[in-house]
Parts: sequence; C-alpha cells; structure tokens
Amino acid sequence: MSKELNLWLDDLLKDIKIIQFKRKNSRRVRIDIAPEALPALLELLQGRASYVHLSAISCVDWIEENEFELVYHVWSYETNSLVSAHTRISREPGVYLSVYDLYTPAAFFERDIHEMFGVYFEGSPDMEKFILTEWNGPPPMRKDFDSEAFVNQTFNWEEYHPQWLKDIEAEGGGITTRPEDVR
Amino acid sequence: MSDISYKDKGSILGPFKSLSFFSRKPVTEPFEPRIAADNYRGFHVNDWDVCIGCSTCQKVCDNAAITMIKIPGLPDDPVMGIRNERPAIDYGRCCWCGLCVDICPTSSISLTQEYVHTCRENELDSYFILPDPNGMHNKLFPKGWSKTGDADLVDLERQPMAEMEPQSRSDNFDEIVDGFTKQQAIIEASRCVQCGMCHDSCPTNMHAPEYIRAIWEGDAEEAVRQMYRTNPFSHVCGRVCTHRCETACSIGRRGDPVAIRWLKRYAMDAVSDERVREIAAEGKADFVSGKKIAIIGSGPAGLTTAFDLAKNGHAVTVYEALHKPGGMTRYGIPEYRLPYDRLDADIDVIKSVGVRIECNVRIGSDITMEQLRQDFDAVVVAIGLQQGRSTRIPGSDHEQVRASVDLLRMITAGESFDVPESVVVIGGGNVAMDIARSLARMQKSQYGKVAVTVSALEDFDHFLADPEEVKEAREEGVVILDSRGPKECVIDKNGKLEGLTTLGVISIFDDDGRFAPSYDEVDEQLHHGGMVIESIGQMSDISLFGEELTEELEWNRGRLQADEDGVTSVSWLWSAGDMVHGPDVVHAVADGHRVAASIETYLNEGSSNNE
Amino acid sequence: MRPENYEAIKQPPSNEFELNFGPNHPGIEGNYAFRVKLNGDEVLSARADAGYLHRGFEKLMEGRLWIQNIALVPRICVPDPVPMEVCYSLAIEELCGLEIPERAQWLRVMQLEMSRLAAHLFAFGGHAATTGMYTPMFWGVADRDLILDRFEELTGGRVYSIYNIPGGVRRDMPDGFLDRLGALLDYLDSRLPDYDSLFFRNQVFIRRARDVGAMTQEQALKWGVTGPNLRATGLAFDVRRDDPYLAYEKIDFDVVTQPGGDALSRNLVRRAELKQSIRILRQVIKHLPSVKGAVRCPIPNPLAWNVPAGETYTRVESSKGELAYYVVSNGGDKPYRVHVRGPSSMHAVQVLEKLAVGSRLEDIAQIMFSLDACPPEVDR
Ligand SMILES: Cc1cc2nc3c(=O)[nH]c(=O)nc-3n(C[C@H](O)[C@H](O)[C@H](O)COP(=O)(O)OP(=O)(O)OC[C@H]3O[C@@H](n4cnc5c(N)ncnc54)[C@H](O)[C@@H]3O)c2cc1C
Ligand code: SF4
Ligand code: SF4
Repeated sequence: MSKELNLWLDDLLKDIKIIQFKRKNSRRVRIDIAPEALPALLELLQGRASYVHLSAISCVDWIEENEFELVYHVWSYETNSLVSAHTRISREPGVYLSVYDLYTPAAFFERDIHEMFGVYFEGSPDMEKFILTEWNGPPPMRKDFDSEAFVNQTFNWEEYHPQWLKDIEAEGGGITTRPEDVR
Repeated sequence: MSDISYKDKGSILGPFKSLSFFSRKPVTEPFEPRIAADNYRGFHVNDWDVCIGCSTCQKVCDNAAITMIKIPGLPDDPVMGIRNERPAIDYGRCCWCGLCVDICPTSSISLTQEYVHTCRENELDSYFILPDPNGMHNKLFPKGWSKTGDADLVDLERQPMAEMEPQSRSDNFDEIVDGFTKQQAIIEASRCVQCGMCHDSCPTNMHAPEYIRAIWEGDAEEAVRQMYRTNPFSHVCGRVCTHRCETACSIGRRGDPVAIRWLKRYAMDAVSDERVREIAAEGKADFVSGKKIAIIGSGPAGLTTAFDLAKNGHAVTVYEALHKPGGMTRYGIPEYRLPYDRLDADIDVIKSVGVRIECNVRIGSDITMEQLRQDFDAVVVAIGLQQGRSTRIPGSDHEQVRASVDLLRMITAGESFDVPESVVVIGGGNVAMDIARSLARMQKSQYGKVAVTVSALEDFDHFLADPEEVKEAREEGVVILDSRGPKECVIDKNGKLEGLTTLGVISIFDDDGRFAPSYDEVDEQLHHGGMVIESIGQMSDISLFGEELTEELEWNRGRLQADEDGVTSVSWLWSAGDMVHGPDVVHAVADGHRVAASIETYLNEGSSNNE
Repeated sequence: MRPENYEAIKQPPSNEFELNFGPNHPGIEGNYAFRVKLNGDEVLSARADAGYLHRGFEKLMEGRLWIQNIALVPRICVPDPVPMEVCYSLAIEELCGLEIPERAQWLRVMQLEMSRLAAHLFAFGGHAATTGMYTPMFWGVADRDLILDRFEELTGGRVYSIYNIPGGVRRDMPDGFLDRLGALLDYLDSRLPDYDSLFFRNQVFIRRARDVGAMTQEQALKWGVTGPNLRATGLAFDVRRDDPYLAYEKIDFDVVTQPGGDALSRNLVRRAELKQSIRILRQVIKHLPSVKGAVRCPIPNPLAWNVPAGETYTRVESSKGELAYYVVSNGGDKPYRVHVRGPSSMHAVQVLEKLAVGSRLEDIAQIMFSLDACPPEVDR
C-alpha cells in the first residue's frame, strides 16, 4: 500500500509543471516549487497524500542571491516518507503566506522564522516576539548580523594576569597568539 | 514484568513497600575525592618535552580557550620544527571537549582524572592555566582522556605517489615521479594543520601554509601566487628541493610529513605557463630606475637576484659561461629528476619580468671584472661550484679518472663520450648517486646491462645520500658499497685503467672530530672499471677575478668572504649561492633575495646621497 | 523577560487574575515561564514565555568548523544530549557520503538508549515531584546518576558526552564496559517494581494524573505532537522503527502505546519504554562483541574539512519525540545553516498552551512534566 502511494505521488508530482521533483531515497523526496504554488502543493500533500505531519519549517538566508529559502518538511504516517518542499522568496520585503490553516505547528515555526530572520507570514496567528523578547536589533539569524562582533562590542572579556604569566614576562616571554588571532 | 495497563487502578498500599528501605544501609559518599573514570576529561596536562608549540590545539579549540605563551629557556629551533611556545587554557571558556587532545600532532597534551577547580572571586586568575606535566593543583592526577590510536584526528598517512617501475625507467631519462592528481593533491593538502613550521624552517621562508591551503581550496593559481612571493624556482623546487619543510612538519612527528614538495609541484603543473608569468609579474615596478646590475652565473642564486631586481625596475644582465642558463639545476641535476622543460618554464618566467640572460659569455676571459665594474652600478658573482675535487690518490690523474660534475655537464649538453662498460664511483652523496644512476641508464640502453659500483666512506647508518636515492639506485642495478676508502686507481702496463682498489674504513674522524680517515690495510678490494669517477665535492673556479681583485677581496679558507646579505669586502660586489653559502637550490634562492634586497638598499642610499 | 522589566499585573476586583508562572519555579522544567489567566484556580489561558535559555546555537554553529559543533550540540538538550550529537553527525555523514562502521552504529544505539533511560528517569521523577511525591524524584535522579557513571566511563564526560563525531564515535569502549553496563541493567530492572509500587501503580498518582492534560490522537496529530506523547494517544509511531537509522532495524523492540492521551498515559508509555530500552541494551550487549573493527571511518583533518554542498533533514527519536536537524552546506568548512527541530518546540509551546486551558493551576506543572517539555530545546 505504502509503495503504491509513493508511486502515485511520484506520478502526480511529475505532472505539475512549475515544480522540480527529486526522490532522494525511498523515504525522502525533495520538491522545489514556486512560492505561489507551495500552499496548493501542501494542501494536496496533506489532503490527498496523507502528509499530515508538518515536522518543521526551515529558513535559510541566501544573502548573496538576496533570497530566503523556506523548506517545509512534511511527513506521512502512512507511507513513512518525508517530503521537503523548498521555495524561495525575495529577501525584500521578506513576506510570505502562512500555512497555519493547513498545519497548526506552522504557528511556532513561522513565529520563530519571523523573529530570527524577519520574514513576515501573512495570516499567521501570532507574529509576536517569543524568544528574543527584549531584543531590538536586526533579526539575528540573518547572515548580515555578525553575532561575534556584537558580543565583542557589548561585553568585556575577562583579562587574566596570573602570577605565572608575570614570571614568564619577566624573563622576556609572554603571550604570542591569542585565540582571537587565529579565528 | 508486563507493562502497566491504563485501566490499572493502582494500589494505595504499594507506596508503603518503600518503607522497607528504612532498613537498608544508607549510601555514604566518602569525603575523599572520588576516583574519576580512566577516560575522564578533566584538566589539561602537557608534556613540555614532547610539545613543539605548533598551536594546532589552539586552532581546533571550539571555545577559543587556548592562548599560546612564549616561554624563554625552552628549545626554539625552526629547522627541527620546535617553537618555545606552549598552550595556556582559559577555563572560563574551555568545555573539556578534548578536541585539542585528539588533534595534537605530538600527543603531548591530555586531560587528567581531576574533577574540581574552584576559587574565590578575587582569584579569577586561577582560571587561566599553563598546563605543564605536573598537574594544576600541585598534585598530579592520573591521565584521563589522552590520545589513542582510534582517536587520532591527524591523518598520519601521505597520499601515495605514483612513479615509474625500475624496469621501465632504468634505460632512459624520463621523469620518474608522476606527480599528484588534483584529487590526491587536495587530500594531501587537507592533512596540513597550518602550524607554519614549514615556513619557519624554509631557507627562503616560503608561504607553504598559505599555498597548501589554497591547493586544498582548489585554487592552484592562488597557490602559485603564494609561491612567487618567495621563490621564482618553484618548478625546480617542486621537484628536487631538499624539503627542509618536511623535516620540520609537525605531522611528521608521528606520521608522514605533508608532501609539501609534491604539492608545490602539483600547483605549478596545474597552472599554465602563461598564467604563471602573469602572476609572477604582479607587483612589478611600472617605472625604469635607470640602474644597471650585472650578474655572473645563471644558477638559482644569480637568477633569483636578477628576478627581484628586475621586478624593482632595474636593468639586469646575467652572464652565463655555458650554452644555457640554470647552472647546476640544468648541468648537474639529471633529467629523470628534473625535466629540462620545467626548468625552462621557471627561467622563462624570470626572463619575462625583464631579465636579460647572455649565454656563452665567460666573465674573466670574454669580459673582465673591471669592465663590469665600470659599466654597472652593482655586480653579483654567483658562479657556484663548478670544479670537481680530486682524491689525489695514486693514478687519479689518469684520463679515465673523471669528475662527476664534468660528466653530468656533458650528459646534459649532449657531448658524447665513451660510456664505459663498467665504472666505479668514489663518493656517497647525492651527486654520486646522480652520476651513478645516469651512467647506469646509459649502460643499460647501450649494453643492456649495468655495471656501476659506488664506493662510499660512510657506513649505511651515516650515509650522506638520501635513502630514496640509495633505494632507487639499487633498483636500477647500481651496487653500493659502504665503509670503503679509495686507495689507488690501478693502471695496467699498457696504461689502461683497470679499476679502483679500496680499503675497509675503521674510522672517518679523529679524536678531535677532524676529517682523517683510518683504514684497515688488510681489507683491500679491487673494483674493476674502465672509468673511475670522483664525486667527493666541488669547488669554485675563481680565476675570473684576476690577480688584482683577488688581492683586494677578503677570503676565508679559500672561500670568498661574504656576509649573510652577500656583501663582500668590495663595495660594488656581492656574492650569492653555492660559492659562498650553499648547499642547495633553495638556499641559493634565499641568498638571491637577500642579495637583491641589499643591493636595493645600496642603490637607494647611493641615489639619495647623490641628490 | 528580565525581572526589572516585569510590569505589575493589575488585578481586577474579581476572581479573574493573571499570574507569572516561572521562569524560576519548581513546577517548571528548566527556565521557562507561562503567563496564566485564571478564574479562581481554573486556567482560562496560558501563554508561553521563552528565551531564558536562548544561547543562539544555530547562529553559533554557522561560525564554527563542522567538527567543533560536536561539543556544542549536546548542550541543546540537557537531560537527553546524545540524540543531538548523533543527529548532527548523521546529517554530516549523509552530506559527505560517509559510511560509518557497524561497530560505531551499535555504540551509538547503546548511548542513545542509555541516554533515553536517563532522561525517562528524570522525567518521571520530575513528574512525581510536581504532585508532591519527592521520593520517586530522588530515586529517579539517583539511578540516573548510575547511568552517568557509565557515560563517564565510556565517553569521559558525565552529562555532555561529546562522544560522537561525524564518521562514528571518538573511541572504543573500555575493557569490561559491557559487563558493567549489564550489571547496571540488572539493577535497573530490579528497580522497576520499586518505581511501580511507589509511583506508577500508586493510586494517588494514578488518580491525580488520569484525564489531566488529555488530548485525542486527532488533536495530537494536528498539533504536531510526536514521541511518547503521541504514543500515549494510541498511535504506534516511532522514528526508530518507522524511519530507521543506525542499527535499529536489526533490533527487536516494541513501540508501546497507551490509549488515554493524558498525563497518566504519557507516564505509562515512558515506564514501558524504560523496559524497552533495557531490552534494546541487552541486545546490544549480546551483539556488540561480535561486531569487530573500527569505531570511526577515516575523516578529513577537522581543520580542513569542506563538507560537499547540499542539504539534509535528519531525524532521530529522542526521549521527547522527533528530533530533526536540517543541515545546509555551501561546500565550506562550516555549516551554512543548521536548523534544530526540537520535539519540545511543539509540546512545550502550543500544545501546552492548549492543554492548560480548562485545567487547574496546580496541574500546569503536572502537564508540563507529563509532556516532558524541555525548554532549552525550544530556546536553542
Ligand atoms: C649533481 C648535482 C645535483 C644536485 N641536486 C640537487 C637537488 O636535488 N636539490 C637541490 O636543492 N640542490 C641540488 N644540487 C645543488 C644545487 O644545484 C646548487 O646548490 C645550486 O644550483 C647552486 O646555485 P648557484 O646559483 O649558487 O650556482 P650554480 O647553479 O652552480 O650556477 C652557477 C652558474 O655560474 C656559471 N659560471 C661559473 N663561472 C662563470 C663565469 N666565470 N662566467 C660566467 N658564468 C659562470 C656556471 O656555468 C653556472 O651556470 C645539486 C648539485 C649537483 C652538482
Ligand atoms: S597541538 Fe600539541 S604539540 Fe602543538 S602546541 Fe598544542 S599541545 Fe603542543
Ligand atoms: S578541551 Fe576543548 S574547549 Fe578545552 S581547550 Fe581543549 S579544545 Fe578547547
């Protein structure tokens, strides 16, 4: 039964024009699809092909291409297989549609992506801050946010100067390479 | 024990069962620190005698917890690949992952079975520790997490190098070594831990970490760019360098050093000659200085000096006595180790930055030194060591007793001579191997069989030639005898050379360490040969200076006196390469750079004085 | 939110009022908070407030070499760290096409089940404490410590073992390890009846937990619930069996379910899984000695390791449910992106918010612990 479903899915998806379809193995399928067609695809996968579990939505910042990639990982408990549907949206303004009405878990992932990448999901139930309640800087997971620089500007490192180091310095030795020099 | 059913109503009395625990003996933790597991990842200890200060631990540390500290008094020897630095750990950052332990090329660092360090607020300095072999609280706990065979993150094995089998190489001068494929080069380059020991040990301080990294990144052009920062003889060095870098390589402490020389060769071969010329020309001065420099000798020392000075906008002319430029890299090193077209490629690059090379001009006879002095702003003599030394044993003045460098030069120049059916070589160094193996090839192709005997003073434990040379020579049919001292070149009554008699060596040096071989007179052998070749060292032909200049110059035991920068006692004259320093190509290159820099300063000072 | 930024909640003169529950509260797992609206002690709504444990792991990982992250990932889930290491390693292995040795696969299964046992002991002990029963908590934590002893011996670390590495594991087991593990399993086996009489079959617990925080299977599926919480609604799904990895295909174990979907069912599932994990570990002990060979395949120098460009979504079954890593490489020596799908990100947020409604204030802690919500996994 699950095999047939898989075959059926392969056939079905091959017919849709705007998408690219790649079966990675018997339990993993990758689909690349235009953003305007993705909700329909998910509806199809959920309603007609038993992919009822939204495992996660992942966001990737392809800053050089000025795009965000959104990946919807959906799982079918019937065929025991995972479809990862990839789509790309423009980084500016970074707005997309919520799939909350299809998948309840989307609310969490969309809120997270909004907070971390600044992508706004229209129709998502809750775009409020969640983890970074007191953060007013740029969405930190964006590639152009340099967290190390932020830390160095914001915090002081502990400066150690133990006796053994003083002794070595007295003999003409001492620190040659700090860890930050080799990063 | 079956699972509990959802319908199970449970029991209200069940919990009372635990009352029975009242009768159990309580668990008491002893006050003594408990013993940690054998593998525990506690605090660092570092065996300072083994640690070489390579700072690889610092690079792998995921928490930027390691600072390198220079400690005066510890050995500091770039040639051996040892720095007087040791890692110190910030326990405010360390997470005790032990990656430093697993990567350490020497296995010097490990973690102990100690659990606890704490302190009062005003003692935060105690979190910064310089691990030594003694443990951090004046008490040595047993080692916990240390390097084991299955845990090594360093790849100890080198990529195999494909080469010709002895049968197919023994009658021709084709290059033996194939060179790395791209895939192999990337894997080999990936073994590097970027410690920079190679850079420090290299006479010309090649940027090996940088070019290895570039090769690993698949960017051979960048690798070439890094090489040309310090070495215009990169094709040559990629093939025949004595690779001190590999001796210093920290991976070589426990495994095969990274094949730095072959990586250099790979990158040079991977980039087209034309592209190499463009890269080499980067940074060339866009003006003409109007200064003229003459360089005598087109070996690596002379040509490197020329390359640097030409790039700085000076007019450089190199005079070479022989037909073609290259010096010993052409007329000494045999073609099976260094194909001429690769040497030509290096020299073409040097010419392309504007160096003029005039061959077939012997200074001293064709042009005098005095003339050069008049025509040029500075003169460099880099004439190498062209004359073979003689043993001066009886019979060594026979015409069939020859010098190895003369024969090697003839072979390169294509000058014909009668290849003897059997030959004896005196000497145990790399030059002896070169001539022995070259003649073996010629014998094999002319007579179908090899009859070359090498007789060396040293025993195999103290041999001068590289082990690979010895191995390959034997594979090609050369017979190598160790601990034999030359006694006499035997000449029969018709005046024909019969061979060489040798004596067994008792010792080579006297009690004061001076060279004074003593022989066992009873242990005498005759090695038949229609030719005896002396290969016991070379010297400079200094006749070019003429009497007056020779007088004026300072000498040091027959060698021209020149400082590190090649400055001689005569203001307009510099000297570089084998004739003053030696002993190999990369030293000659390093010398060339120093001399060029010194001349540059001289010229600048001169011009500012004139203004 | 920092305390100084709390605004005093103005209480209307009625039974309805709001309460900050957490972030430092014995009834909260980790540091986590709820803002609860109450009518008397009945919960009208609950809103999760996270971020107290946000360490920015996903961002940090983008700035570190592939291998350096092995020391980072276990910290994402304190009580059950091993699945983090394994899942991350599996992802890299897939991207690199590394074939890990069979012995390493079994060693990984071994650690995963040891970690599951430790986590489940923690979970039921914690649950007991929320209902005022502290002895089971002490027992659970004390017995977990014995597992940590074995971790210390195997991996050099008690909690964060950092034992897995892309390509396998970092070292082979010490001599005699399996014997000592076997002895520990015998001990834990003998403890199960104790746990039962004190807790799982204790009428006080059963009556207290039955119907609390209940969801139907339909709801669970809709809300993205996984792991023991999903199995407690009667659906027999387990990544180990249904999307198998490592050596799990060669191992016999039952995917245990319970019908109630409530706090009781969830605990009973975990109770049954203690037994299943012991069963799996016994098979490992039996089988492992016959699997000879290396514990790691050759891997490149960690300082010069470019992972081929690509992406993968790798899943494992953690003690809390479906754990997944979405790992993207652009061919460089550091990850381009790592997205961690912690199972608790579902049941510690939306699911808990929903289940709390209509329950009583004192049940919130119970619900949270019965769901085995792990805030550090949410915060990352
Ligand atoms: C057989 C042999 C094998 C070797 N193998 C290696 C090896 O594998 N690796 C390595 O690193 N090194 C090797 N060496 C050493 C290396 O070749 C030399 O160290 C290096 O070439 C020295 O460079 P140089 O520029 O000082 O002198 P040379 O290379 O000797 O060049 C001097 C040049 O000056 C010219 N010259 C001399 N007198 C005059 C004059 N009066 N007028 C004009 N021109 C003149 C000579 O013809 C010659 O071309 C080998 C040497 C020999 C002899
Ligand atoms: S890696 Fe090892 S040898 Fe190198 S500095 Fe660190 S401890 Fe010393
Ligand atoms: S144990 Fe890990 S964190 Fe500590 S110094 Fe070594 S590499 Fe750095």
